[in-house]
Amino acid sequence: MKWTMHVNEGLLNLFSAKLRSILALLGILVGTASVVAMMSGGELATNEALKQFKTLGTDLLAVNISEMSEQPVGSQNNLSLQQANGILSSDKNILAVAPYTQLYSPMQFNGHDINGSVLGVTESFSKVTHVEMAAGRFISDLDHYAAFCVIGDEVYQQIKKNTLLNPLGQQIQIGKNIFTIVGIAKPWIENSFVYASVDHAVLLPVQATLILSKYSNINNIIVKLADHSASDAVQINIENYLRQVNPGKKYFFRSAKELVAHMAKQSEILTVFLGLIGGVSLLVGGIGVMNIMLVSVVERKREIGIRLAVGATRSDIRSLFLTEAVMLAAAGGLLGIIIGIAIAFLIALFWQWEFTFFLLPPLVGFFVSAITGVFFGFYPAHKASQLDPIQALRSE
Amino acid sequence: MSSLIKLDKVTKIYLSTANEYQALKGVSLQVDRGEMISIVGASGSGKSTLMNIMGFLDHCTSGNYFFDNQDVSHLNSEELSSIRRQKIGFVFQSFFLLPRLNALQNVMLPLFYHGEEKEKSQQKALNMLHKVGMENFSHHKPNQLSGGQQQRVAIARALAGDPEIILADELTGSLDSKTGREIMNLFLYLNREENRTIVIVTHDPQVSRVCQRIITIKDGCVA
Repeated sequence: MKWTMHVNEGLLNLFSAKLRSILALLGILVGTASVVAMMSGGELATNEALKQFKTLGTDLLAVNISEMSEQPVGSQNNLSLQQANGILSSDKNILAVAPYTQLYSPMQFNGHDINGSVLGVTESFSKVTHVEMAAGRFISDLDHYAAFCVIGDEVYQQIKKNTLLNPLGQQIQIGKNIFTIVGIAKPWIENSFVYASVDHAVLLPVQATLILSKYSNINNIIVKLADHSASDAVQINIENYLRQVNPGKKYFFRSAKELVAHMAKQSEILTVFLGLIGGVSLLVGGIGVMNIMLVSVVERKREIGIRLAVGATRSDIRSLFLTEAVMLAAAGGLLGIIIGIAIAFLIALFWQWEFTFFLLPPLVGFFVSAITGVFFGFYPAHKASQLDPIQALRSE
Repeated sequence: MSSLIKLDKVTKIYLSTANEYQALKGVSLQVDRGEMISIVGASGSGKSTLMNIMGFLDHCTSGNYFFDNQDVSHLNSEELSSIRRQKIGFVFQSFFLLPRLNALQNVMLPLFYHGEEKEKSQQKALNMLHKVGMENFSHHKPNQLSGGQQQRVAIARALAGDPEIILADELTGSLDSKTGREIMNLFLYLNREENRTIVIVTHDPQVSRVCQRIITIKDGCVA
């Protein structure tokens, strides 16, 4: 009963000083909005990343092979294709192995230069990294050293722009060799396990690449694991195997788990940063609320005296002012939540993420703003409650 | 008749940084139930201080104060609030209505602090407004009412909690003489017909004349 009355009277007071109330709640609004936007944005980003992983598969493991520093580049003990494919038998959780190599070589189509790189791949590469064909076929293991190639979407666009020809079945010059285009890939979704872009590449059978340049070797392998297999254990088996067949190299692994941890770390930094902004604006907003409430106490001294004269206790007076401060802060909080969600929506729109509404950020935002109201409203309310009734009544 | 208020050698000293000022110098007096008395004196004589002490708005420096046979000199502010809420109604010279509330809400204010239910207190407040002849103005804000009307609403507010005693400070001071007479007639009615105890602080002889007893304060003492 008393609380509803306090709320009613508080509303009356806040509405009778509209501009001042709005200015006071602005700080709380900004603070809550940034807290809500930050939390929602973070959740959306995580969701988006997880979604990407789901389409690519969280079951990939990238192996990068590099020379020991003292060894000269291009030494003879490079990993052979057979050795790379042998990884398949090093652990029963391994479903597929896709070794690849990348090299840069001048390329020409019909007299026009092509910008892009050369990727030497095996048949399994398309399955493991989800390369889909727009036309023709992908590289086959039966191609061996054959002069066949598949072009990425971006390379296809270059050819189409320059020559208006359908490149399928046409020939492309790579270095001094001529390759026949047997397939055109669809636009490819970037994959954080592949250190190359399929879109910007001409894909050859890996054996052909190895003879194209003596500097090319298999230095990257993507391994597809069975669902829910322990990537750590598989990693150890692969490393043991590789050390055995090809000692004297360094092996670096990159697992989905590691990537997720890395991303979490990055978003953590962002969260701390935005949280700091939110915290500072809430602090400023809280001081604003305190300021307005202090002014209000001074202005309403006589009212306080009247209330005391008609029988209000000091705690009644304190509750009245505290209710007002909390309502002010909560109103700022509610508006801030709406704006924060709107910002999260715009972020999602801008990055073309799927927007989802999360309940937690608004709840946290509301809670934090209300707490700010209590914290910064307490002192003015206490001050009001300690006024001397006679002096309060005498004041103008 | 039993005594409602009994002051025994009450003093009040105001301390400021420079000097001290003795507003009351040992006042002893008694107010019985059903009495209508006036306290008169020149301004600065200490009559307002006396009323504030009688209404628990202020503490006396020394002496004893018995309200309803209870020594209230040493009660804390919550206890005094509680007695004030239940047994005392105030009427002030400048009405002291809350400007944002309408007449009805102003009269309901003490009932709110009594913790009464809304419907019940609304009914009570309407009854009080009817008693003071303001039932047709219940939804008017104070600034839409004349001085006399505001004072009637203030009296209704003082009556709302059904107090033992009404303390009035210069209640006709802001009113013209005709309106002042009307208000005094209302007080006479409350005293004679409802047997309410009334203490009026005033320097207006027209007001004090109608009271049963006049206490004159001069230089902080009962003259």
